[in-house]
Amino acid sequence: MNIIETYDLCKYFKDKKAIDNLNLEVPEGIIFGYLGPNGAGKTTTIRLLLNLAKPTKGYAMVLGEDITKSKNYLKKIGYLPDVPNFYNYLTAREYLAFIAEISNIKNYKNRIEEILEIVDLKNEKGRIGTYSRGMKQRLGLAQALIHNPEILILDEPTSALDPKGRKEILDLILSFKEKKTIFFSTHILADVERICDRVGILKEGRLLLNDTIQNLKKKYNRRRLLLIEADNPLRLMERLKRCDWVNSIKLENENGILINIKDISISQREIPKIILEENINLLKFEFLEPTLEDIFLEVTA
Amino acid sequence: MILKLMKKELKELLKTGRFYALLITFLFFAISSPPIAKFTPEIIKSLIQTQDTKGIIIQIPSPTWKDSFLQFFKNLNQIIFIVLIIIFIGCISEEKNKGTAVTIIVRGIDRKKWIISKFLFQILICFILLIISYIICAYYTFFLFSHFPLYNSLSSTILYAFYLIFVISLIIFSSSIGNNAIQSGGIFFIIFIILNIINIFPNLNSYNPIYLSTLQNQWITQSVNWQSALKPILSTLIMSTFLIYIGMIYFDRQEL
Repeated sequence: MNIIETYDLCKYFKDKKAIDNLNLEVPEGIIFGYLGPNGAGKTTTIRLLLNLAKPTKGYAMVLGEDITKSKNYLKKIGYLPDVPNFYNYLTAREYLAFIAEISNIKNYKNRIEEILEIVDLKNEKGRIGTYSRGMKQRLGLAQALIHNPEILILDEPTSALDPKGRKEILDLILSFKEKKTIFFSTHILADVERICDRVGILKEGRLLLNDTIQNLKKKYNRRRLLLIEADNPLRLMERLKRCDWVNSIKLENENGILINIKDISISQREIPKIILEENINLLKFEFLEPTLEDIFLEVTA
Repeated sequence: MILKLMKKELKELLKTGRFYALLITFLFFAISSPPIAKFTPEIIKSLIQTQDTKGIIIQIPSPTWKDSFLQFFKNLNQIIFIVLIIIFIGCISEEKNKGTAVTIIVRGIDRKKWIISKFLFQILICFILLIISYIICAYYTFFLFSHFPLYNSLSSTILYAFYLIFVISLIIFSSSIGNNAIQSGGIFFIIFIILNIINIFPNLNSYNPIYLSTLQNQWITQSVNWQSALKPILSTLIMSTFLIYIGMIYFDRQEL
């Protein structure tokens, strides 16, 4: 069952199509990576889904409700903005108490302690204004989770964090896998590859693909990347550069070269011949699976 | 929900120290207005005497309770007015600007209720402070002048309360429209200046909320006439409701 569905969703600004006929499906219980370069329309999609902006055309169904007609579904969503802002004069507990009150949570004191424990802010007594960026991000996640929402919408939650903060947030998100549906927008491909089940790639407001990472890898795995390690990689590189079935070639490490090939069968025939002719000792010969980055670059090119 | 949101407003006012700034300003002018009215003629006299002006007869009328309340309302209409704008003008626009509004609105909180909670809270705080400062000013006036008519001073204060409703409605409207405190301040002052210009025209001024501040002084210096205040009070209430309504509609449709 799809928990988010958009139908020809459009958002046009004066001279820009921020979102253009977006037809997106997000199944229940998965971590969905919403990928795209900066300015692709990721945040605009989120703003439309959260009723913070009105679509120019089209509509979306979230938790079975039409977002252009109802706002009730918002109560079942937790949202973390890309740069979460809080009332800096409050402490984390005071802020979460206010959020719990307006979310109509009864006896929220235990829930606040539970959430603070999850985001590792239980011992923080100071005002939010004194928090680091990472702590604010974790508090943002706490306010998004306090009412135990069915969907978590996270807008680039790791983009401004250092590697340690990024890992902490990703581990936290991963801990909710299968418990909630997570809509996770980012331009950091490694994050998506690490935690997401399914990805949608957006460019200039248009959805270029929407599939599981496994399917994408199968689909884009045309065995076109080849890693060869040899005792004289530079000589091998010189020979391969002259072959018309080679797209590109680069030195990967001390002994290894990475070759992007046009035709697998020719390469399988020709490379052993070249190695023999040049009297090169072969150390490794491996066809590589494409990374999400390869797929992303190919799709958005 | 409105009460929960008002509770947050109170916490904000207390924690940011703005409440104390407001309280001190109201109390300062409530306490200082009667002695200023009482001793200003004596200060002027003593200044004149030191300036080699012996032989010139200068008559300064003896101060009365009227001077005390005129001084009080002058301060309410000038300094406290400015302090109120500084404290409250960013109440919505700065929440939009800083992004704190988004985390509340995405929870399905009715945007109109959010605006109403801010309006009601500001009215409540201002009315409480106005009542306290009126009582203090009345006490000191009685203490220094041994006389003050309750009816005149109270009626003028009630007129000021109506004027305050308009000022806060205009603050809420400007803050709903503007995207930051500076923009909202600009919107506020443009409307306020236009209303002051309209107040020059005798045919129009009786429908102008600004006219209420003129009436306050008249009721202190002359006599209370509720009949003459009916038009400006009604138009003030209508305009305040209109401003709040437009502010709510605009904010409801605004993209955050």
